[in-house]
Amino acid sequence: MQNLFFTLLISSITVSAQFLEPQATEETYSIYDSVVRIEVATQTPDYLTPWNTGRFGGGIGTGFLIGPNQFLTNAHVVSDARRVLITQRGSSQKHPARVVHIAHDCDLALLEVIDFSPFENLPHLNFGGMPKLESEVSAIGYPVGGDRLSVTRGVVSRIDFRPYSHSRADSHLVIQIDAAINPGNSGGPVVQDGKVVGVAFQGLTQADNTGYIIPMPVVSRFLKDIKDGSYDHYCDIGLATFPLFNPAMRTAFNLAPGDRGVLVSSVIPGTQCDGIVKRGDILVSIDGYDIDSAGNIKVGGEFVDMNEVVERKFTGDPVKLIHLRDGKEISSEVTLKNFDASRIYAMKYEVQPRFTVYAGLVFQPLDFNLFASYKFKDISVRRLYDEYVSEGGFLEHEDIVILTRVESDQLTGFMTGFAGMVVKELNGEKVKTLKQLHDGLRAENAPEFHTITFVGGSRPLVLPSAKAREAHQRIMKQVGISSEAQLD
Amino acid sequence: MNSFRFLAISLAFITSISAALADPGQSVVRINSTIQSYSPSQPWEKTNPRKRRGLGALLSGNQVLTTAKMAADSIYLELESADSTQTIPAKVIAVDYDANLALLAPSGEAGFLTSLQATKVGPINKQGDTLQVIQLEDRGTTQITDGEIRSLELLSTFVSGRYFLSYVMKTSIQTEGNSYTLPVFKGAELAGVLTSYNSKEQTCDIISSDIIRSFLDDAKDGSYEGFPSLGAGYSTTEDPNFRAWLKIPDDQGGLYINRVLKGGSAEASGIKKDDVLLSIAKHDINRRGYYDHVDYGPLFWTHLVRGAHRVGQVVPCQVLRNGKIIELQLTLKKSAERLVETHLYDQAPPFLIKGGLVFQELSQPYLKAFGNEWSSRAPLNLLEVYNNPDAYEERRRRVVVLTRVIPTEATIGYERVSSQIIKTVNGKSIAGLPELEKALAQTPANGLHEIDTDDSPYRIYLDQILADRVDQQFKAGGLPSLSRSYPVE
Repeated sequence: MQNLFFTLLISSITVSAQFLEPQATEETYSIYDSVVRIEVATQTPDYLTPWNTGRFGGGIGTGFLIGPNQFLTNAHVVSDARRVLITQRGSSQKHPARVVHIAHDCDLALLEVIDFSPFENLPHLNFGGMPKLESEVSAIGYPVGGDRLSVTRGVVSRIDFRPYSHSRADSHLVIQIDAAINPGNSGGPVVQDGKVVGVAFQGLTQADNTGYIIPMPVVSRFLKDIKDGSYDHYCDIGLATFPLFNPAMRTAFNLAPGDRGVLVSSVIPGTQCDGIVKRGDILVSIDGYDIDSAGNIKVGGEFVDMNEVVERKFTGDPVKLIHLRDGKEISSEVTLKNFDASRIYAMKYEVQPRFTVYAGLVFQPLDFNLFASYKFKDISVRRLYDEYVSEGGFLEHEDIVILTRVESDQLTGFMTGFAGMVVKELNGEKVKTLKQLHDGLRAENAPEFHTITFVGGSRPLVLPSAKAREAHQRIMKQVGISSEAQLD
Repeated sequence: MNSFRFLAISLAFITSISAALADPGQSVVRINSTIQSYSPSQPWEKTNPRKRRGLGALLSGNQVLTTAKMAADSIYLELESADSTQTIPAKVIAVDYDANLALLAPSGEAGFLTSLQATKVGPINKQGDTLQVIQLEDRGTTQITDGEIRSLELLSTFVSGRYFLSYVMKTSIQTEGNSYTLPVFKGAELAGVLTSYNSKEQTCDIISSDIIRSFLDDAKDGSYEGFPSLGAGYSTTEDPNFRAWLKIPDDQGGLYINRVLKGGSAEASGIKKDDVLLSIAKHDINRRGYYDHVDYGPLFWTHLVRGAHRVGQVVPCQVLRNGKIIELQLTLKKSAERLVETHLYDQAPPFLIKGGLVFQELSQPYLKAFGNEWSSRAPLNLLEVYNNPDAYEERRRRVVVLTRVIPTEATIGYERVSSQIIKTVNGKSIAGLPELEKALAQTPANGLHEIDTDDSPYRIYLDQILADRVDQQFKAGGLPSLSRSYPVE
């Protein structure tokens, strides 16, 4: 198998070499020529040993030219990239490129090449709109199975609101098509009548012929967002709702059978709606769109979740709400804010894992990446993670600090049982940030014994400060820990 | 009765001369049990009955000793002769689920039991002693397998987390009647009850004669009380840093008390959180929690409470508090009622159905119904109660949970609601299922029941008239009962 693959690879290179010469002289270009192959070398940090360099890897994806030195692709193609190379169709020359903007929440990125001159004559792909159900589309890209450009064709099967797997935490509009989309297709354009109607980005492993593409509303929003030079995240209204179907519930809220509105079941603390909308309010309209009893609105004839209004907006944009409280109508306007706390549930890229090591004890703040690495089972860890946003946990403790590892040493011999637990207090004081713990353990005026308590712990961890100070360097050296902390 | 005792004594005498003369098979009966428990998720019905077979030892007064596992949730028990020709129905006289022991007696006539020889519990057994495991072959003959006590350990053989003095015996026993509930003898006297056999390791776990004797003594007066419990959480003190902080001298052991349960022995005797328990009944407890038993060597400290002593006994104990040794008198009590019950054997779990909403009291069996991985699979809010009951104890005897919603016309829109903890109903706090039943029996002001919970939508409304109508439909549709409650004083 290995051999066969190798042979194929060599022969295909020879074939392309033969055809190179005549194509280079040709002056007319098709849109195919503006679809480029992206080769990426990555470095992914290891959350189990956060001081280490991590894993080196790489991959192939597709991108396409949408403006002068502007290549659009997927965020996941260029995530954690150390080196990005772009290759033109029918060329073997690799052009160094860099990521200009990356939006992990909608899986899009904009790249530029260091020297644009070889690409100057290529056409820029134009954008279309939302394709119709059952209309035909073509996916262009560089998927596995060959080195040269591939085109597959299919129809629009479904338009839906679905999770974007790259960040593990976001859902947006998607178009499902039945054209084959394979690894390497990622970031490639999906076209209809010569215009881009979406960006190929993910498939479904347990089903056949289901490829998903990022539709134009999401792409346009990304391009608009970066116009000011930086990418802000999607905003969230910060409300949880409960459908008002139950007749008794409707009676309790004095609603007639045909009355509109959905029940606000909780308001996320610290968001723009906190203090304006209350649990038990009935939300009847958002930006002038009537909300039905399930929380849906009608936009341009399409029946969508009311969050779609916020989806299309940006940080700083106003949202008009009409809500009922005790039968009285209240009109409010909220200004959308960035809400960083919710990113705890999103996979992080291009950042060094935060940690601090002291006397063989490794502490790390809980986030999606850490959870994915350690698969914590402790109920307290899971509960604090769960309630970080919904119950306003982030207001009390910016970081959920976990003792992730206890390195071997005579000092720490009986401390291994604490690994995997959430730090509650250091020397009687609530631990709210990683930095606070880092500083507290290293404090000049430390007490004779540091005591660290854990959420749900059966006893405090006791660290004699003099011995700990002495053991710190020794353990760092023994275990080969190159750096003692990464605090931001 | 007298002649029985005489016989037993003479048998013991003969045994001391030659073990070969005694036939413990004469004191062994077969036990057949039909077991049926309630469905954890649909508590109004029972699960499929199962059969369990085992052997018991005949004691004086036609009483038969076996494991609690044989008796728990049994709906029919019978005793069968060794040759399987005669059976008589039996009843449970006393059962201790924690210790995994049960005492049975014929429901009516003693039947074939009268032709057998009653045995009695022998003296203590030590490491290295040889015991005989008794099995009955299909044709009724006795099969005896010798084995040596390899160690004495505290094991939990039925209810998890309840440890009792047991023997671990090295032997190879064959499958006979697919049961490893077997009496173990030393000569003609009962030495223990075998509860399980590990064929790979060729070891078996045997409940010790010490525990059996305490159990039988307790059951003698007809009202069984059970074993005491300390009622405190602890951690060991091996960590030298932790010891230095607690100011425990190097020559002392001790257990760090991290939690004192309400209504338990420890609380009543003045043991406090952060104390270090140094000794119980003049036995020093080492840093790993072991003490030196005069006959058995190192044993885990829990035997000093749940095993070596009885409910009502007062034993001295020492604690280290702020570096000073304090002498306390520990009055041993049974473990206090728990917020989340550890088991529900022979109990019909309370429940209530109203308009399609199903309410149950949170128990460990309910959580365990989420499968082998229940401790990670069960709903997080319920696991949190189980892990941290102190936070929920206020104004509660039990935690009432809206476990599921059956789709009815009264529960439209509530289909996705499940596993929510009930706080109040119609403004009344809910301490347990009887309180819920009472609160829902009242006519609410506007005809709507208000049920406040811990999760979205936080308040569920239920139309009283509609709900009552749905309840009638359930009854007509064959649901045997819409509630099962219990009296509250």
